[in-house]
Parts: sequence; C-alpha cells; structure tokens
Amino acid sequence: MVREPGYREPDRPSGHGDAPLYRPERGPGRDGGRPEPSPDADTPGQPRGGAHPVDRPPPARGAARPPATDRRPPRGAPPRPELYEAGGSPAGVARPTRQPADRAGGRPGRSPQWLPVVLGTPTADFEPRPAEDQTYRPDTVTDGWSTRDFTVRAASVRGYLHRHRGTPRQDDFAVVVHPPTGAVVFAVADGVSAARHSHLGAALVCRAAVREILADLAAGHPVDWQNVVQQAAWQLVEQTRTLLGLGEADPAAAEEAMASTLVAGMVLPDGPTVSLIQVGDTGAWVLRDGAYRSLLDGKLHTGDPVVSSAVTALPRTPRVSPRRGPLGRDEVLLIGTDGFGDALGDGAGQVGRYFAGRLARPQPPVQFAYHLDFSRETYDDDRTLLAIWPRTKA
Amino acid sequence: MSGGHANLLPVYVMADESGSMTKVMGQLNEGLRSLHEALLGEPMAAAKVRFSVLGFSETVLEHLRLADLRHAEEMPELKPRGRTSYGAAFGDLRQRIPADVDVLKAEGFTVHRPAVFFLSDGQPTDKGWLEVHRQLIDRNVTKGAPNIVACGIGDAQAATIRQVATRDEYGFIANAGTDVGASIARFCTALTKSIVESGRSLGSAQPELVVERPQGFRMAIDVV
Repeated sequence: MVREPGYREPDRPSGHGDAPLYRPERGPGRDGGRPEPSPDADTPGQPRGGAHPVDRPPPARGAARPPATDRRPPRGAPPRPELYEAGGSPAGVARPTRQPADRAGGRPGRSPQWLPVVLGTPTADFEPRPAEDQTYRPDTVTDGWSTRDFTVRAASVRGYLHRHRGTPRQDDFAVVVHPPTGAVVFAVADGVSAARHSHLGAALVCRAAVREILADLAAGHPVDWQNVVQQAAWQLVEQTRTLLGLGEADPAAAEEAMASTLVAGMVLPDGPTVSLIQVGDTGAWVLRDGAYRSLLDGKLHTGDPVVSSAVTALPRTPRVSPRRGPLGRDEVLLIGTDGFGDALGDGAGQVGRYFAGRLARPQPPVQFAYHLDFSRETYDDDRTLLAIWPRTKA
Repeated sequence: MSGGHANLLPVYVMADESGSMTKVMGQLNEGLRSLHEALLGEPMAAAKVRFSVLGFSETVLEHLRLADLRHAEEMPELKPRGRTSYGAAFGDLRQRIPADVDVLKAEGFTVHRPAVFFLSDGQPTDKGWLEVHRQLIDRNVTKGAPNIVACGIGDAQAATIRQVATRDEYGFIANAGTDVGASIARFCTALTKSIVESGRSLGSAQPELVVERPQGFRMAIDVV
C-alpha cells in the first residue's frame, strides 16, 4: 500500500495552501475519470446470482476432504433480489447465498433486499445472539448529517464473530461539529479483543478524544494532540478504577480491562485541511477516483512473510505527531477500524472496488451501514467506518 | 496484498508417537476428535485455521495437511511407533512451514504466524535437536517461523519443555502423579481455546503505559 507521501510532520513549513499534498497516484489503467460503480467487473463472465463464489481460491493441497455444509445448494432460500439499490447498478457480487442451516427454533423472516451483501465467499449464516454485558451495547450504530462544508456518514457494526458468540461490539466512533470553526471532529476506536471491557474502552477513548479536541478549538489555541492521547489513556485508567472498584488508579489493570486503539482528528473547512493522530492499527485513507491511499501506518506491509496480530493500544501512550494535509474537493476521507481495513487491503481487490462505487458520493446513513455489514468469509471482526466528503460550493 | 481472499492461521499439532505413548494414544486421539467437534460449533474460527496433524518418532508422519476442519469428516488416528527424535520433528517443520506459507500466500491468503502445538511424553533420544529448533524459530532463517506451545507429560522434563516453547508462558508440564490422560485432555482443550481465541493480542514492543493523571482530566460519565 502506498503511504501518504505528502503528509507532513507538524514542524515542517506549511505551504499546503497551494500545493496539493495528497495527490493520488493513479493506479494502472486508470484514466482519471470518476468511475461508475461497476461491481460486475469483479466477476467477468459470471452471471449475476451465480451459484459459485467469485474469488474462492482452490483448496490447499492435502486438504483432501470434499466441500461440506456451506457448499450445499440452498434449500428453501429466499428469492434473490434483482437489484440491491433502487436506481443503482446491479450488485453482481452481492449474491444472497445464505443457507437455511441453523433455523432450528424458528428464524425471523428476512426481506431479500436486506440480506447482507456477499463479497466473495459468505461467512456462516445465523441469527445473532444478544451482546451479553451489563451495559447496553447496540449491534449497529449509524450517523449521518451535513454541515455547510462537509457531509458525514459513519457506522459501526458488530462483527459476525461477536454476533455468533453473543459478545458486544468492541468498535466505536464519535463525530461532532465545532460550529464556530466549521470543523468536523472525529474519533474511531477498536477495543482490543483480549481486554474484557474493551467495548467500554473504545467508547470512552472516542468521547474523551473528541471532547479534548473541541476544548482546544473552543479555547482558540492549536490542538495539543499529545494531550488528547494522554487524556484518552487516563480515561481508561479512571473508568477501570470505577468499574472494578479499585482503591487507586492502576494503568496495568486498565490495559487488561479496556485497551483500545484510537484514531482521532479533525477536518477544517479552510483547504479543507485534515489533521490526524493514530495509536494502534485503526486506519485512514483518502479515496479519489476509485483509488485508496493510506494516510497512516497500517499493520499489513507488502512483502512480510506472515502478519502479526499484535497491536499497540491505549492506555499505552506513544508519542504522536499529527499528520496534516489538504482534502481535495473530489476526495473522500475515510477512517476505519481493521475490520474494514483488513478486508480493504490496498483497495485493489473486490472489497475496495465495491466500496469505491458506494462511497463515490454520500448515501443515506442506513444504506452506508448496510454496505459496511457485508459478508465475507474470515473477515468477521467488528467494522467501523467514518466517511467525510467536502461539499462543493455553489 | 490487495485485500486477500481470507485470513489464515496455520496450526500444526506435532505429537509424540513413540512407543511409550501406547497407553495414552487413545486419549490423544479422543482429544483431537473433541477439538474437531468444538471447531464445527465455531464455524468462523474454523474458517480461519488450516490444520495439520503430524506424528513423530524417528521420522515424521503426516496425518493431515492444511485441512479446513469444517470440511474434514474425521480426524486421523495417531499410532505409537519407534523412539523420540525431537530433531526429526523440528527438522520436518523447518522444511514444511515455509513451503506451506508459500502455498497459502500463492492462493491469495493473508497468513498469520503459524502455531505449533508440540506434545511429548519423554526426553529426546537424539542429539543436536536444539540447533534444528533454533533455526526453526529464528525469524531471519525460517519464513513463517512459528510460535511453539509445548506440553510435556509422563517422563518429559520441565527444563526440556521450556527449551521447546518459544515463550516461557507457552510451556506446560503435567505435574508428577497427575493422570496423563487428563493432561492430554487439558492440552487439547488449551489447543482448542487457542485456535478459537486467536484474535488480536497486545504487542510485545510497547510504548509506556500512561502514568499520571493529566491536567484538566474529567470523567466521561455518559458511557459506563
């Protein structure tokens, strides 16, 4: 994945007012035009609604057993929809191949048009279990609105694995506007699965980070990004002390209970200009003309023989330097947890193409959440995605 | 990587098939069957694992290779034979794992660092195994150098098992006098849990924990 070369460290000279710092590097074969959504391009020669996964690899050698349950032809499956989006192009990759396998005990009826979009091989089909926790934690949250300068869409959906196990969504986001400056201030967090209350941790660090940024904006001085990290980290410490009834603050206990990644930042109308900080592997991209460019460090690096699932997270407090740069009028800023980012990869695959079409322009918030809830085997983590479009002035 | 087909964790069970395992082999096979059944109830965890079962004595026998256990009808049966050569076991993994990583990556998978679950009831009867082991776990030498969880039962000594495990907390030794069959059952339970819970973990090279309350700190009261 191409790292964002134009993002500068805070102490470098400015100058982003006229030099576009993140011009996308066009991918091969791109003509620069804004593409129409064309998910059918993923499946050349394959009829829409075909019975076979579009990109399932052949079985590994030695895995000699024949395919089993998830290859059975659907029996009694609901009729496939003709279109997923009124007025949109047919989502040829999105075939509702859900199986009636676990309907024992009665399964609520489902409208075909709301079956999850399937990208590649679907994940297992089941009715989700409730999230068992003392704190209410909805399966899905979504938000969407526009200011004079920006249109915002955000959604956080519980991963299929957590739905299957009856555990809470560990991702969260917060996004608000600061009316005097017109800034959209945001945070996206991913609770570390090993931490039992990390869903609370993710919510807490988002709220704390946004509040600190807003406080700096309100005070009229530059955002102290390191303080944002410290405040969010300490929030975990104090909340763990309260939750567990500890006599005194215990950062190690907080890490064990509530560790969470964080990306926090803001986009100001002047430019517009984006500022971001990152703790952990939650990602940020700019989408332009169907091509994604990463703005932050990811956990996947081309050429690594194997990948690591280790992550840095609050209440660890690395030194952070905000990445800053302009956001073009024809660009979309995306902030996403690894549940989205891992499936996206470098954006050249099926997931990247699917979202390039869906994110070219804002869709209704519920539709945004629906797309994010796609089904793709082994990509079963919680997913959170925040998208910000600069509004074109008349 | 372009948004691969899937995330995979290659898991290898390397079990001692030396003659001394005769009495407990039935329990080990039963444990593997339980693992299979448990994974069938965790289809999403199972989808992310490719499972190999290997038995070692003087040589290594491949009983199952990179299998998707959702599609496996039954687990293979391990059978006692020969002596206890750790060198044979680690030498096989040294060749096998890089080749498997290449195969899976060529098929478009994103491959996580492989995990080896090593089980032995005795001390090694060969010399020189430590050097083979060192090469196997050296990430500069072996592509996909694995994490090794080692479990010692019967006559296996704690010091030896600690040398096999790649981290201290990955080494387990059954207490003297405990039921070996029960130890194997616990090993298989731990194996299952490890596979099912193989999500993200906290990194080892970490920045400092936050140490003091920042100025102007306020509790968020609208979440908890």
